[in-house]
Amino acid sequence: MSWLSRLKIARGNQPPLSAEAERALEAWQALAEAGHEQPHFESRYIVLNTEATGLDLERDRLLAVGAIAIDGGLLHPRDAYHAQLEPSPGDALAGLLAFVGRSPLVVFNATFNRTILERAFARQLGFTPEFLWIDLYFLLPSLFPERLERPGRLADWMAAFEIETFQRHHALGDAWAIAQLFLAAQSRALSLAVTNPRALAEHAQAYRQKLKV
Amino acid sequence: MSNDAATLLVGASTDFLRNFSPFNRMEAEALGFLAERAVLAFHARGSEILTPESGVPTHFHIVQRGKIQARQAGQATVTEYTSLTLGPGECFPIGAISARRPSTNAYVAVEDSFCFQISADDFLHLMQISPVFHLFCTQYIASLLSQSRQQLQSSFAQRAAEQQTMTTALGKLIKQDPVFVTPDTPTRSALERMSELHLGCMVVVDAERHPVGILTQSDLLPRVILAGFDLARPIGELMTANPHQLPASASAYDAVLEMATHGVRHLLVVDSESVLLGVVSERDLFSLQRISLRQIRAGIDNAADIAALQRASKDIRQLALNLIAQGIGAEQLTQFISALNDALTRRIITLAREHHDLVGIDFAWFAFGSEGRHEQTLSTDQDNGIIFRCADAKQVKETRTRLVEFARTVNEDLAACGFPLCKGNIMASNPELCLTLDEWKSRFGDWIREPDPQALLNASIFFDFRVLYGNERFGDQLRSALNKGAKGNSAFLRMMAANALKVMPPLGRIRDFVVEEDGTIDLKKSGARLFVDVARILALRTGVESSSTVQRLRQGSNKIGMSPEEVSAIIDGFNFIQLLRLRSQHLETEHDSADDNRIDPESLNELDRRILKEAFRQARKLQLRLKLDYQL
Repeated sequence: MSWLSRLKIARGNQPPLSAEAERALEAWQALAEAGHEQPHFESRYIVLNTEATGLDLERDRLLAVGAIAIDGGLLHPRDAYHAQLEPSPGDALAGLLAFVGRSPLVVFNATFNRTILERAFARQLGFTPEFLWIDLYFLLPSLFPERLERPGRLADWMAAFEIETFQRHHALGDAWAIAQLFLAAQSRALSLAVTNPRALAEHAQAYRQKLKV
Repeated sequence: MSNDAATLLVGASTDFLRNFSPFNRMEAEALGFLAERAVLAFHARGSEILTPESGVPTHFHIVQRGKIQARQAGQATVTEYTSLTLGPGECFPIGAISARRPSTNAYVAVEDSFCFQISADDFLHLMQISPVFHLFCTQYIASLLSQSRQQLQSSFAQRAAEQQTMTTALGKLIKQDPVFVTPDTPTRSALERMSELHLGCMVVVDAERHPVGILTQSDLLPRVILAGFDLARPIGELMTANPHQLPASASAYDAVLEMATHGVRHLLVVDSESVLLGVVSERDLFSLQRISLRQIRAGIDNAADIAALQRASKDIRQLALNLIAQGIGAEQLTQFISALNDALTRRIITLAREHHDLVGIDFAWFAFGSEGRHEQTLSTDQDNGIIFRCADAKQVKETRTRLVEFARTVNEDLAACGFPLCKGNIMASNPELCLTLDEWKSRFGDWIREPDPQALLNASIFFDFRVLYGNERFGDQLRSALNKGAKGNSAFLRMMAANALKVMPPLGRIRDFVVEEDGTIDLKKSGARLFVDVARILALRTGVESSSTVQRLRQGSNKIGMSPEEVSAIIDGFNFIQLLRLRSQHLETEHDSADDNRIDPESLNELDRRILKEAFRQARKLQLRLKLDYQL
């Protein structure tokens, strides 16, 4: 049985995907797994952000996704993705996968963003794609203790860096702010010899473990 | 759908840029072009974004947030600020990226900063598509230039002040009121006053106080003591008549040149009515100079053999290096070198005559090329020839043989004194260049009638002749024949003009300079020669007798209706290139490598680079004039 026909079974009675979305999913599946060990300046990171009906993971639904590429340490405004889930959530998420590829994902607050996204992937596409997740919620205080000693809200970090955005609480508007925070994070990480995506993810993870103790 | 995202983010960049000049005035299409291509970068506090060492800038930056400091890093202070802080909406570098040269500033983030950046190509494209942005950049550069001009003037003023001794008017160098006697004063009383007042010389004047003679201490031994001169007799019988004098407005440079040319150590300074104002001695002018001109001059004149002249030749070089180090101008410097080299050559000729019987031969020694133009640099190879007259046509062959023999000795001795033999055999020992006046005339006439490429090349060397030794009249006669012949042949002048226009000033459309493969500019071939060639044509066309480029330009240009301001700008340009040539030879000599007139414009400081660019523009202007005049 082909991967696509298995997918169709897994999706059950969801509305059918567009031909374009199917092609995108197939192409994504064919991509090689990334090693995430190439240096920052050769890496393409995707800063990802979600917009939901609320912050309750049990009740709230994903409304929109926004994503911006940071390629070679530079933020490219033209290399961005934004989609409302309605009316065709499968197509919106397939489009997101096509945009992301196998790039490491940078989010602010993975607990919420990752969970709500993975559930949507599973429900709409019938599978949960694997990614390297980098959570700025933990990474930022680990890299910039002089600015905020403990994990803070996005608004706190934006204030600490005097970063502004064109529209708050909008998937892409917040992603724009998060992306700028990540540019700063990348630069600081490099000076601490945290030189690649995997090391960055591990650095954030280590900080999180330390908090629990 | 992802298109919407890009539109949104590019729109956000556009909105940001619109808060600042010149972006708020920029054409919508151009602003869109900029916003679409602008990517955002982060620069941590203390990091260098661009330095002079990073070479030609690859990106143009617009500060989005934070503070970037521009720090002056070049050898010369170009702008009035030493550091300048750039905030949101301000951009850099503008001058460097427009001119595609390394930045003179170092740009350092003094806070954690975000900057938009676009590639240099996109920057240049933006200049093309946006008149507003173009104007913004050129005005920015222009304001930098005007700052640098002011800087230039003040640094020149400062330099001039340091060299006051060389630029001061002679009138200001006079230390005391003149002491003088009349010609009928008994020698004894004149000498007593010299002794009393510790004078190096005594000036003799007429009733109107016009100098008529001078007696110096060094005259006493031969003329008074050894000659047993009767001290009761009037000083008028003893003095050197027609003493060398200069107006009070002449500069110390002029005085030094006059002393070097005539081998004297005292000059009389007179006012506009030729009334004696005072005496300036060599010591007054060169009290601090280790090797004095007079010493070199005396060394040359008293040299008994080639070994002594070799020492003098080294001294000339050393003196020239000292003068370069003092910052003396190119025109004066080449005149010094020329005057001393002339004296050296004359002495070599005099010494050679002791070994060659030239009795009864009427001849003159020619200098050609740069030596002929008084524009010798520190190591120019020989370009010389001989002109002679033979009353009896049957004697020509034999006379030539004798002169060529003699010339061979001179050429070899010159080579021994640091003037390399000419590779092209343009030397008096070449029988082809040891000719009678008629032969020279017919040679020149042939080139003018049939200006093939070789003839034009010859013209560029030989037409710059001057008499260095011997019968000056030969030179005058040949010059007047040449000017007459050339003036009457406009086809020849037109060919010369076309030839002169073959080499263009190395100015780039986008870059400052067009350099050769090794990154250098040949200051002789694509610099000085552009001026020299046009000046020669101008001189032939207007009948100027001088062989010097500056004189040719000065005297010839007013005849064709160029304004004095225009001409001085052109001459300044030529002199600057000559100075750079001398300076680079100076440096290279110290490194003991062969000098070759090449200069790497990148190695110049910002000011010199700008002046050099202006000098090349003047050459272009001069060429343009030639092009119009001959409709080429």
